[in-house]
Amino acid sequence: MPDDDPPLDLVDCLARVRRHDQAAARELVEHLHPLVIRIVRSHLPRRVAEEDLSQEIFLKMFTRLAQYQGAVPFSHWVSRIAVTTCIDHLRAQKRRPEFRWADLSETEADVLDNIITNENDVPANDAMAAHELVHKLLNQLKPDDQMVIRMLDLQQKTIAEISALTGWNQSLIKVRAFRARRKLQKLFQELQKTERT
Amino acid sequence: MNLNAPKHPWNRLTVAVRTGVPDRDTAAPDGFAARIAALAMAPERKVASLCERFAFRALGAACALALLSVVANYSSLGSALAFADDDLVEDDPVAVLLDT
Repeated sequence: MPDDDPPLDLVDCLARVRRHDQAAARELVEHLHPLVIRIVRSHLPRRVAEEDLSQEIFLKMFTRLAQYQGAVPFSHWVSRIAVTTCIDHLRAQKRRPEFRWADLSETEADVLDNIITNENDVPANDAMAAHELVHKLLNQLKPDDQMVIRMLDLQQKTIAEISALTGWNQSLIKVRAFRARRKLQKLFQELQKTERT
Repeated sequence: MNLNAPKHPWNRLTVAVRTGVPDRDTAAPDGFAARIAALAMAPERKVASLCERFAFRALGAACALALLSVVANYSSLGSALAFADDDLVEDDPVAVLLDT
């Protein structure tokens, strides 16, 4: 969207959408797309296209619009729909494949080998490989645990923010984070034991 | 090494992801918003389409006609079956041999 566009009057836009104004619905989607696509990209399940998932989220948003009472900011309400839709897709995924060195690309295996065998930081030009590696490691966790770790470690959200987005209570989030970290720790220990093929 | 330690491989990986991966374009692709708006604002179908209504009527009429034809021809159909039994016995060479 160009920078010289006037800011969206959300209250007016929502009122027009409720009167079935298609142009207002289009404006609302364009306004919220960056928010939704960031959430989708952070939690995108395997084999799901980001456009399909964001379309599902927007359609849910319009279907449930009558339920929005304005108690929370509209963007929070939409974020919650986006997060819960992603969790549903993650839960629907089939069994997670076992993590093996052989399934990594050459660069990913190099990055993993380097961080396991020494204490150097990942070079900036290997960030994309690190990104893929992190997602493959996270795929070893249960969907809810993945969600918590992505939000805590990648998006650096607080427990309270995660609670607001997912609807889970804070104790449950801490338990899930603990369980996920323990599993990751175990995974790294196993990787250190096994030889790179 | 504990996972909470800053130098743990996991933490070095997440730092690399947070700092090194460039933000991709977040604007809606061309036509995306229009498609969603059209899907969301499409009127709900409260009644079946004309074609569907005709299809159901045609199915009902076909069933009624089939039933009517069975009822109308029941007596002749029954007698034809009885004759067929006799014919079968008459045409059966074993039955003919035993009868003689």
